[in-house]
Amino acid sequence: MNVFRAHILVCGGTGCRASGGDAVHRAVVQELIAKNLNEEVCVVETGCNGFCAAGPIMVIYPEGTFYQYVKAEDVPEIIEEHIVKGRPVKRLMYKEPTTAEPIPHMLDIPFFGKQKLIALKNRGLIDAEKIDEYIAREGYMAAAKALTQMSPDEVIEEVKKSGLRGRGGGGFPTGMKWSFARKSVGDVKYILCNADEGDPGAFMDRSILEADPHAVLEGMIIGGYSIGANEGYIYCRAEYPLAIKRLNIAIEQAREYGLLGKNILGTDYSLDINVYQGAGAFVCGEETALMNSIEGKRGMPRPRPPFPASKGLWQKPSVLNNVETYANIAQIILHGGEWYASMGTERSKGTKVFALTGAVNNVGLVEVPMGTSIGDIIFDIGGGIRNGKQYKAAQLGGPSGGCIPAEALNTPTDYEEIIKLGAIMGSGGLIAMDEDTCMVDTAKFFMEFCQEESCGKCTPCREGTKRMLEILKRICNGEGRDGDIELLEDLAAIIKDSALCGLGQTAPNPVLSTIRYFRHEYEAHIYDKKCPAVVCSKLFKSPCQHACPIEMDVPSYMALVRANRLTDAFKVMKRTNPFPGVCGRVCPQFCTNKCRRGQLDEPMAIAWIKRYIADNAKRPKIDQVPVTRKQKIAVIGGGPAGLTAAQDLCLRGYKVTVFEELPYAGGMMRYAIPEYRMPRDIVEQEVGDIRALGVEIRTNTRVGKDISFEQLRKDFDVVVLAVGAHKSWKLDIEGEDLSGVWGAVEFLREVNLGKKVNVGTKVAIVGGGNSAIDAARTAVRLGAKDVTIIYRRERKDMPAWENEIVAAEHEGVKIVYLAAPTKLIGKNGKLVGVECQRMRLGEFDRSGRRKPVPIPGSEFTLAIDTIVPAISQNTDATFIPAGSDVAINKWGGIQTTGKAKNKTTAENVFIAGDAASGPATVVEAIAMGHRTADDVDSFIRAQNNEPAYRRPPEEEIEIPFEVDEEVVETPRGKMPELKKSERRITFKEVELGYSKKTAHKESCRCLRCDAEL
Amino acid sequence: MAKLTIDDLKKIKERVEKEDQFRAGTKRMKLTVHMGTCGIASGAKEILDTFMSEISENNVNDVLVTTSGCIGICSREPLATVEEQGKDPIVYEYLNPNKARQIFKRHVMNGEVQTDFVMARGSEHDKKGVGK
Repeated sequence: MNVFRAHILVCGGTGCRASGGDAVHRAVVQELIAKNLNEEVCVVETGCNGFCAAGPIMVIYPEGTFYQYVKAEDVPEIIEEHIVKGRPVKRLMYKEPTTAEPIPHMLDIPFFGKQKLIALKNRGLIDAEKIDEYIAREGYMAAAKALTQMSPDEVIEEVKKSGLRGRGGGGFPTGMKWSFARKSVGDVKYILCNADEGDPGAFMDRSILEADPHAVLEGMIIGGYSIGANEGYIYCRAEYPLAIKRLNIAIEQAREYGLLGKNILGTDYSLDINVYQGAGAFVCGEETALMNSIEGKRGMPRPRPPFPASKGLWQKPSVLNNVETYANIAQIILHGGEWYASMGTERSKGTKVFALTGAVNNVGLVEVPMGTSIGDIIFDIGGGIRNGKQYKAAQLGGPSGGCIPAEALNTPTDYEEIIKLGAIMGSGGLIAMDEDTCMVDTAKFFMEFCQEESCGKCTPCREGTKRMLEILKRICNGEGRDGDIELLEDLAAIIKDSALCGLGQTAPNPVLSTIRYFRHEYEAHIYDKKCPAVVCSKLFKSPCQHACPIEMDVPSYMALVRANRLTDAFKVMKRTNPFPGVCGRVCPQFCTNKCRRGQLDEPMAIAWIKRYIADNAKRPKIDQVPVTRKQKIAVIGGGPAGLTAAQDLCLRGYKVTVFEELPYAGGMMRYAIPEYRMPRDIVEQEVGDIRALGVEIRTNTRVGKDISFEQLRKDFDVVVLAVGAHKSWKLDIEGEDLSGVWGAVEFLREVNLGKKVNVGTKVAIVGGGNSAIDAARTAVRLGAKDVTIIYRRERKDMPAWENEIVAAEHEGVKIVYLAAPTKLIGKNGKLVGVECQRMRLGEFDRSGRRKPVPIPGSEFTLAIDTIVPAISQNTDATFIPAGSDVAINKWGGIQTTGKAKNKTTAENVFIAGDAASGPATVVEAIAMGHRTADDVDSFIRAQNNEPAYRRPPEEEIEIPFEVDEEVVETPRGKMPELKKSERRITFKEVELGYSKKTAHKESCRCLRCDAEL
Repeated sequence: MAKLTIDDLKKIKERVEKEDQFRAGTKRMKLTVHMGTCGIASGAKEILDTFMSEISENNVNDVLVTTSGCIGICSREPLATVEEQGKDPIVYEYLNPNKARQIFKRHVMNGEVQTDFVMARGSEHDKKGVGK
């Protein structure tokens, strides 16, 4: 008998076979024969192991090694390594699940825990096709109670007491509707159910009909009884086959039990219900059109009055309610109107079902008490926005509704409150939108929907929606004109006033609400030909370039890196960016956020490629630009905005002088960003390029001290203020005059000036932005043993970049979340501690984040030697003398004017950068520098009646077009970093830059969105 | 079938409770596949088929399989609930046939909850009964 030295067990269970177990088995046998091991090793096909999801599974004895997800191509490696060399293949070995966290209870998950189920009370519990299961959950008990113990008037009274309002969107009080129909005289009356759910993104009614059809039937029986109807219809769109199937089964079963038909439950009351299938026209959700449709006519509305309660279906008194309304009725009758009215707000009672869709993590159906805020639904129940994106707006009520912006997240779900915001509760479609949604495009989408669904009966709707759509399309295509917004508003008002039915009257709502809250997006499309969300593709070549404030031509320099033409790549970058080496290190990368590669695997490492080019390209020689114009320009402040403006004006032939207070130019690039992120020679080199053009930079010259502002005004024709925001905000708490208390900008400036700063051993930083992280990592390098960041919100709210936060943590920085300092404690004039208070997150603020609220009595103290508040900065405008025509604003900064906010109150004094915009980024400062230079030049030319400036032709650089035939998932190239042990003690640059190989590989990942195929 | 009276409704309620093989204790386990349109669109039918074929292949006769509608969180479909006598129901998410097989083999037959695929335990109907 053969003795085998090893056994290979290949699972032959259904699961493993389904994932390719057979092929693995064959491969093992073949490989053993090929290696002549078939005499030594036995292959056995086993039954199912039970780990089907990790299949195909393989176990090798005598070791008992368990391999999972084995593919046929892994087999040679397993045989060679494990069987021949005795080395188990680690990458395929079974790994114990690492999360030992206990399984949460359903109610611990906010999605379920925060809901209140009435209309959806049976969801997930009963089999919709078995009437007995419905009856076992108190089904038809309410109908029995109504029919045997209550008069029709009592039923109506109970529904009135409950405060239930029409859940289809109109919000008309249900009890009142029923009482009108009851009072209408007629021997034939109808009870109707509107299941013609047609709003994009809404599926409440479908879900109720599929999960619990009897609840709707029971509601109709009770309603029918109260008005005296003996016949009913459910108007359901044919696109809902499962709902229709389950409804018909339910009706059949109810008839069999005598719950529909003659003498229901042995009483005098009779009612039969039929399903009428609609063809899916949106207008048929309008009550009169729906009734026309059931009558066999074209689904078109008719004027009201007469209202359906007096003349409805076939001119008989009728009541039409929607699915969700009926689903609430049985519970109201069983538990009483008062019980129902105990939930909700003053005028909106009970619960509301929403179909939550869009950019949220949890898409689904939610039922919440009325009054629950929109923010709670999106952030708690919905689990927030997907992929860490920024929340922008919520669309409520579909094509008849509107968009609610981030600042209205605290709005309660209440009919009246939502109407105040320009939206409607609607039937419950709630679409969450993130920063990647263009509001003009959204308005266009809904207008397109209404235009297509307009029945054509009345002119305002038929023609008006078409004209509005044409304008919206034009705006999205970059052909918007001055006056378009006003024209849209005019048309909207006319259509709202004159359309025959609800469809037309509400069709302009999405446009009006987006204009109301996002007018700036319309204006950006019309005047700047920009789509801020980078959606309207007719407006741009590539998303990255469009997202960049200075429209850097990313695809071109990617292509040039791929072709290894670095000098050309460098020239392309320099066309719009005087500081590519700086931006390659510290740019927040608006481009990356919109990179289409990110939808596939990871976005391109655009900044790192930029840095690679700037660091490695052979730089072209720079020639001085001759002065051709007689006007002289002074720029105060040598930061990115001032230097960019100086460069541009110099290139246009002006004599430009930059006045800089500090010993080196560069502004925040030189004096705020620490050296381990931004080596000094990089800034010096790029400032040097500007100087080489002929810009004079006078350092160590403070305007207001070394030269007066008024003198400057006399010596120069135009002055550009680019003084930045170099004064840290104070905490505004007790003890800020103690020694050991710094401002972040001042602290970083002292360090970057090379002065000796004694931070002691324990340092606290206050704030969550990049400058807080900069201050913390700098304190570590200055020798502080213990560095703690105090931040009042949660980590996910920190504005600082994730990689910076991680780097700080790696360097030993601690972060205390949800706390804020309340008092600084001193001893002999020296700081010894900080008292803090714990915070909890309360309502939403205007930024769409939850506001921190102090928890009384939660104070705690940290012993510290130094504290550095890094909460924001403002401008030091003290160089401007009192009474100057350059006005100061109420916060002590410089008053800006003009659309671009780059002018002051004096016509020949312009402004740019942080001094104008408040603290921003390098790339935004550069953008403003360009803009201001352009405006200064235009101002001068206009004064002299000269024609506008014409940009000289650019050097032509041929951009190769080479892309991979097939796109293979490839992660972004990793940035090599300085060893951790070295980081804590030096200011050496931490990120070391891409190698040629990594840069080339990374550049090949570019999808070349700019290509026109 | 004869027309129901109110008493009949109560009787049906009692009968269903008695005849429900899971509640009455004659079945050890109850598997509910959530089959709204959302579930079906993401493959709930395959999950149901997998459970059924596992039952017949393994000659299991103490397990009840049933279906129900959407439980609300459509983005995690297909979902199924596994309920064992005397224990919290376990809701599994993002199912596929292989996961369903594994759940059947390890959880239903061996009692080992497959933590990796679990969304939650218990029921959202646990505490907040309507009207209470």
